[in-house]
Amino acid sequence: MKHAMLLDNACKNYEEDLVLYYYGENNGAERRRVEQHLSTCHGCKSFVDDLNRVLPPMAEQQKMPQAFWDNYYRETVAKLEEQNERKNWWRTWLTPVRGWMVPAFGTVAGTVLVVGLLFGKGDLSSFVERPSRKVPQEIIADSNQLEFFRTMDMLESLDKLEQQDGTKSELQNTHSSRVRLYKGVA
Amino acid sequence: MVESEDFRDEELVEFCQRGQGQHFELLVHRYMQKAFHIAFGFTRDTESAKDLSQDAFLRAYTRIKQFDGRSSFYTWFYRILVNLCLDYARHHSKVAWESLDNLRDKPGAERQFADSRSQPEQEAIAGEASRKASETLEAMPNKQRTAFMLRNDQGLSIADIAKVMKTTEGTVRVYLHRAVAALRQSLVEFV
Repeated sequence: MKHAMLLDNACKNYEEDLVLYYYGENNGAERRRVEQHLSTCHGCKSFVDDLNRVLPPMAEQQKMPQAFWDNYYRETVAKLEEQNERKNWWRTWLTPVRGWMVPAFGTVAGTVLVVGLLFGKGDLSSFVERPSRKVPQEIIADSNQLEFFRTMDMLESLDKLEQQDGTKSELQNTHSSRVRLYKGVA
Repeated sequence: MVESEDFRDEELVEFCQRGQGQHFELLVHRYMQKAFHIAFGFTRDTESAKDLSQDAFLRAYTRIKQFDGRSSFYTWFYRILVNLCLDYARHHSKVAWESLDNLRDKPGAERQFADSRSQPEQEAIAGEASRKASETLEAMPNKQRTAFMLRNDQGLSIADIAKVMKTTEGTVRVYLHRAVAALRQSLVEFV
């Protein structure tokens, strides 16, 4: 076992190239240059040897049982289908409205419109909503209030009649007193 | 599932773009393991890795019409996946980095850092090396870790990693160099 303190250092200006060399990422000329350097530099050779020991075990992946992958695949496909259904919900909704139904709906709608126009004597104004006449709230009275107003009207009428009666009798009194006075003078 | 495995990625994408979405299932089948392992590299959690990688497939499927063929399908898909993973890493800054040692204990998982020694000694050293590797990866900036995992674990070329990470090849080389140097520094004592 090596001790970290005794780690051989690679040449700083070669270290990155050595990593690329390990992964096979240098082109021909670079590769030859690195190989040439490795043949003479103990520190860099040690660096590459260390990578060859350290990195391969790290690349080993956790091996999962086949059942895991079968389940994974099934789940993913189910999720894809579910997503597809969500995306196309409107198509499902419109599925019954197929080919022949579109002109049929058109014909029915047209017929209804024509019949409506004929029976409505071409008066389209009935289709237009009239603005409702707005009545102030205070004017809207309920039946009790109407009864009250009627009673008030009647009382007013009675007052007038009484007044009229009073005026008549007064006139009559004046007239008879004048007759009496006249007779007395005569 | 679509039967033929003979279709190239680009052909399958074309089918999907023409509305034959069932062909996407073949792409899922082709890339699910790689996608899962990339996501696992970020999450260190099986369920989260599964969710993230499946999300990437769903996004790719939704955006399939936007794929213009300027890059390969897997580069385009990896970009979606890596963006999701980086987003995950940002929101889960304290990722529960399961020790690689634990992975080693799971069935079929093999991480052997010291296979020339006796069994108990080998296991102890491998365990310690795994713990160190986890710590080092955890301490790395996300982009360095991404570049390293895409190169070391997935075998993507530097040019492809640059496309996936939307950066220059020079930047990827720097990320890779720093990541590798850090790992060498922390792990070399175990080999």
